[in-house]
Amino acid sequence: MKNISRRNFLGMVGAAGGSSAIYKTSLAMGLLADTGPMAMLDLQRSAPGRKSVAILGAGIAGLTIAYELERVGYDCTIIEASHRVGGRNLTLRHGDIVDEMGQRQVCNFDDDPEMYFNAGPARLPGHHKRSMHYCKALQVPLQIKANINRAAYTHDTEHFDGKPMRLAEYIADARGFLSELLSKAIDKNAFDQPLSEEDQLRLRDFVRSYGDLDENGRYKGTSRAGYASGGFLSHGKIKQPIEFSALLDSNYWRRGLSSSENFDWGEPLMEAVGGMDNIVRGFVRNIKSPIVLHAQVQAIELQNQGIDVYYNHKGERKKLHADYCFNSIPTHLMKGIPNNFSKDYNDGLSALRPGNFFKIGLQIRERFWEREGIYGGITNTNQRINQIWYPSHGIHSQKGVLLGAYAFWDQSNFFERMTPEERIKFAGDAGNKIHKGYADYIEAGVSIPWGRMNHMMGCGGRMSPEDEETYFELIRQPEGGHYMVGDQISFHSSWQEGAFASAEYALLDLDQRVRATATGMG
Amino acid sequence: MRNATRFRIIFALIVFAGSQWASAEDVAVIPPDELVYCTVCHGIQMRGNQNILAPRLSEMADWYVELQLNAFKNGWRGTHEADLPGMEMRPMAAALSASQITAAAQFVNATRSPLPEKTIDGDIAAGKRNYVSCAVCHGENGEGSPVLHAPALTGLDDWYLITQLRNYRDGIRGSNPADNYGVQMRATVQILGDDQAMLDVVRYITTLHSD
Repeated sequence: MKNISRRNFLGMVGAAGGSSAIYKTSLAMGLLADTGPMAMLDLQRSAPGRKSVAILGAGIAGLTIAYELERVGYDCTIIEASHRVGGRNLTLRHGDIVDEMGQRQVCNFDDDPEMYFNAGPARLPGHHKRSMHYCKALQVPLQIKANINRAAYTHDTEHFDGKPMRLAEYIADARGFLSELLSKAIDKNAFDQPLSEEDQLRLRDFVRSYGDLDENGRYKGTSRAGYASGGFLSHGKIKQPIEFSALLDSNYWRRGLSSSENFDWGEPLMEAVGGMDNIVRGFVRNIKSPIVLHAQVQAIELQNQGIDVYYNHKGERKKLHADYCFNSIPTHLMKGIPNNFSKDYNDGLSALRPGNFFKIGLQIRERFWEREGIYGGITNTNQRINQIWYPSHGIHSQKGVLLGAYAFWDQSNFFERMTPEERIKFAGDAGNKIHKGYADYIEAGVSIPWGRMNHMMGCGGRMSPEDEETYFELIRQPEGGHYMVGDQISFHSSWQEGAFASAEYALLDLDQRVRATATGMG
Repeated sequence: MRNATRFRIIFALIVFAGSQWASAEDVAVIPPDELVYCTVCHGIQMRGNQNILAPRLSEMADWYVELQLNAFKNGWRGTHEADLPGMEMRPMAAALSASQITAAAQFVNATRSPLPEKTIDGDIAAGKRNYVSCAVCHGENGEGSPVLHAPALTGLDDWYLITQLRNYRDGIRGSNPADNYGVQMRATVQILGDDQAMLDVVRYITTLHSD
């Protein structure tokens, strides 16, 4: 500890203290950028003669652009390659198709509106102001979704005999031990620049409260971990703390401690009542523009005036001429689509590499987790399934839909190589190690490999830092009247907010051009 | 009547501004819905998409497409753990019935697209010398030989050619005894020797489709 300055030391305390304390302080100090309600877009009405717009892709970005532009008099047409509206905003219910390449699935959940699975975005934090704005404007009811639940588990097959441990117990013990270490450092005043007596007192109080230490600054267990017994009809008996070395050795801290520290995962989170695709339905209710499904774009050609988009529909090759084009086709697929963009622009599109996520949804015949005192939230495990999510809706009803696996990036490939049946089996076996008899409760299941979904072949694109420097701004800017949009053209890919932000950016850019032209400056 | 008539072939006069659009007459084959999948990865008109390692297949001989779709379906290709793109292809082929495979092959054969860009370098003269052994089956001009079950080599992406040569060399392709022609090719590839010789021969092959 000798080499740690006082300033750094306090920084470390903050880091160990978790984001919530810092977050609240920052909120109070008004330091959080890019939050608060989104200003309504005040777009200039389309000039007489109605400007036309071709929107490629009926996901969140495309729908947002159609919604905003048709309100100010543009003539919009949405071209969608797949069989459905919504893009990666996908809620699966009875009979829905999962259009995986080579392994088409049909969702076999019960025909019951409560039995649904958000296969794409499933969480909305309140600071995603554009998402909040559109949910409100489209009258999409939201509800709280538990993301972190201290009654849920952290689990590691290699540690503590493979027994799952309640997050409450793990977090309490980890903080207790860390606080005790700090307390001992204060006793020795072991810093390169000694703390003043006043600071020592404050820090002692902080650490004691943070870790629930005793009078002597020692950690002897805490009720925060949940009682070993009693608590209501008799005094609660404090649990014996886990051995600190075992706790460190367990690697639980990789999953158990930090999962709620990400700002986007900070409690409380929300979800759309009845399924995340109610956002999509909200747009569809409020959009009059035609949406052409099963329409794969064949070529995009910039003209001196406007853009020609060729697409196939019902066995015919069609041409759509528009003044502007907003394109949310995954950039990694653009190389396969004839176009006359500049080389730099195409190079930029190719530099954005596809990410990959994988999810499994399981219909469970009986909500066994509620008998374990778990209502919503996430269990983390070192197994390939990574996580189990317990639903926040339908509490105490008979059945429920769990998230049975959530794999990220390269982890997803492992599941992609399996048949849908093998995936469900794998998820069941993994769940058995956490919940007794888990697999026996599984009635139905669907798996969604985003890297194998028709017309997508990936999700959550990212650039290398070097490519980002060279290309990001280039492809965010329009090429002629053609704008690339979608969560891929944002610094928040894989979130709906990224798609909303990208749409907003493109719309404001267009508006600026239109206004400049109207005043003769263009 | 040939099944190929199932596809609507539209001769559209599309003059594109960019140089890659040099051909004024663009032949656009419209695939039936179940074959749109092919174009998601391999690109419109099977023009290829190196971003996701899906090679250009436009105009490929239907007998060879059929042979390779069956190779994937049988697990001769796309099962080796080092062949990630092959593993991505395999479930698609596995899902196709025999008649769908025939239809897919005819669709692929009917597609047209600009010739691929050059992406790798090599010594053309050295490659020409190395090509002598290739020519025995694949023909002087890389035109291929259905009788010998040797596909045409023209019109293929150079990055795909070198990947496949390396795959044969390393036993990632052509290792299944049931894959007779693959096994033959694997044996022949060893003649080429080192990686540079392979790059050279691929560079030479790309000159064969310049006209």
